[in-house]
Amino acid sequence: MSLIEIKDLKVHYPIRSGFWNRITDSVRAVDGVSFNIEAGETYGLVGESGSGKSTTGKSVVGLEKVTSGSIMYKGLDITQAENRRKLDYNHDVQMIFQDSLSSLNPRKRIEDIIAEPLRNFEHLSKDDEKLRVLQLLNIVGLDADALYKYPHQFSGGQRQRIGVARAVATNPKLIIADEPVSALDLSVQAQVLNFMKKIQREFGISYLFISHDLGVVRHMCNNIAIMNRGRLVEIGTRDDIYNHPLHIYTKRLLAAIPETDVNSREAHRASRLAVEQVYQDQQGKYYDENGAAYPLVQVTPTHAVALPQTIAQQLASQEGEVQA
Amino acid sequence: MAENFEQHSDISAADLARLTQEAQAEATPSTAKIIWSEFKADKPAMAALIIIVGFILFVMIGALFINTPKMMETNIMGYFNQPFTADFWLGADSAGRSVAKQLIVGSRNSIGIAIGLTVISSTFGICWGLISGYFNGYIDWGMQRIYDFMMMLPMTMMIIVLVTIIPHYNSVTLTFIFSIFYWEGTSRLIRSRTLAESEKDYVAASKASGTSHWKIIFREIMPNISSLIIVDCTLSFAENIGVETGLSYLGFGLPSQTPSLGTMIANANDPNNITQYWWTWLPAALEIIILCLSISYVGQVLRRAADSSQRQGSVN
Repeated sequence: MSLIEIKDLKVHYPIRSGFWNRITDSVRAVDGVSFNIEAGETYGLVGESGSGKSTTGKSVVGLEKVTSGSIMYKGLDITQAENRRKLDYNHDVQMIFQDSLSSLNPRKRIEDIIAEPLRNFEHLSKDDEKLRVLQLLNIVGLDADALYKYPHQFSGGQRQRIGVARAVATNPKLIIADEPVSALDLSVQAQVLNFMKKIQREFGISYLFISHDLGVVRHMCNNIAIMNRGRLVEIGTRDDIYNHPLHIYTKRLLAAIPETDVNSREAHRASRLAVEQVYQDQQGKYYDENGAAYPLVQVTPTHAVALPQTIAQQLASQEGEVQA
Repeated sequence: MAENFEQHSDISAADLARLTQEAQAEATPSTAKIIWSEFKADKPAMAALIIIVGFILFVMIGALFINTPKMMETNIMGYFNQPFTADFWLGADSAGRSVAKQLIVGSRNSIGIAIGLTVISSTFGICWGLISGYFNGYIDWGMQRIYDFMMMLPMTMMIIVLVTIIPHYNSVTLTFIFSIFYWEGTSRLIRSRTLAESEKDYVAASKASGTSHWKIIFREIMPNISSLIIVDCTLSFAENIGVETGLSYLGFGLPSQTPSLGTMIANANDPNNITQYWWTWLPAALEIIILCLSISYVGQVLRRAADSSQRQGSVN
């Protein structure tokens, strides 16, 4: 059984207009998303900005009001607040935020910030709690003198590591990492990502890794879901997505990864333009008449793509030929 | 689970005391220390603080030694006695009552009302604004309509009517009557900042850490708008001294047998007093000016302490 099962998750925001300010339409931020996260794995959720990946993450952690669908954890639907309370859900599911500065309360000292989930869920004695905080700081590579400082006294990378320490404090089973490194420069990105991997190895945590950076996702994730306009367009293993992409949106995303190979610059440019040309010409084939993605169909046991059955089969066989 | 952390960290219980000490040596100074160093850097504000604290203590304690009913008895022999005499340090008014003693008791009453009013109305206004801004939605809508209704009532008129209706009132009931009307400005100010604050990620992080709504409101959001709260409280304290004084001056504040700064300034209604008997009203007027100026100096220092880019003190 999977650690967490997300079924047909929908988050719609109402649009009000007119004289009576009635609900006339809705923004479909997340529109029917289903996937499972296994224990101990890193699940990547990729998409452009506005594709609904952060909203999905926030729904899973219980911060967003879900319109319909279910998120099953230990046999209970945690979209209901009383089920979350019953399970002490946030003891097991924590979150790392994108903006490390605004996600740490500027008026609280580091000790209080990291101890916050401990105080709510574990009720340790004062000394045990302080010891746990010191151990957590040690695990993320910070010194003990950070204990009584304020968040603004740290660099971006250090702050994000404090955010990681807070998320790990209760030894959760799943951490939602919402673009944890996109605000950091490259050297610090690597540092934080490696800490996250180290912690995963040591504590057996699952991550739902939300990102728009395919290079980072490749480094972190075993299974990847590509999200576009509130729906999943492709699900697969790392190999499925990077080596056998089927949906045009996935191909576009992959084409957008910068290459450092200067000699074949023209060739890369040509292949990028070719992908873009296909996208412009064949949009009708890949999206339905409303511009939304089709339901997912299974191509191989691990690989699913949002296309009509016939086109999916056709593309998959083409892909096979190219590989052969 | 605790073992899990023991395994992966080389810190154990034995290191706790040493590491705590190390951390304390590196600790950032507390807000109280920053405010104090800010006062030390600004001499006029320090003088203002000493004036305010010293004066309030003086009138609070001094008033305990004065028998007010006896002091307020008419004493025909002291009719407009000159100031700077042995019996009447600041002279006497038309009923022969000592101005100095009235000033002490009157200041006690006026400042007491101002403090009480600030505490009650600011506490209520801050809670109202925080709750309204944090919960948003229907709760916010309902609370803001109540606020709009209260804003619509003409404040001074309502107070005058209430004071006329209530048969026996003293400084305590008067404080409560004022408090009904003076929470509004504070609540709107606090609500607007709370709306912005509660959208920030640290609030979401606290929710994700399982912290309750009330704890988030009062332990997470309130400290973050504390600079606004402190400045608003000091300024409304200065304003509230004026509220009671103004109404008493008009004759609708404290009853005439209870001395206050307002009733003393009301002596200036009589042109004779203005030209000849200046000692009946001038001390009270000067006192209000000095107090309000001092409070606004202190408020400025507190604002600077809250905003790190404006600080002048040496502690960072």
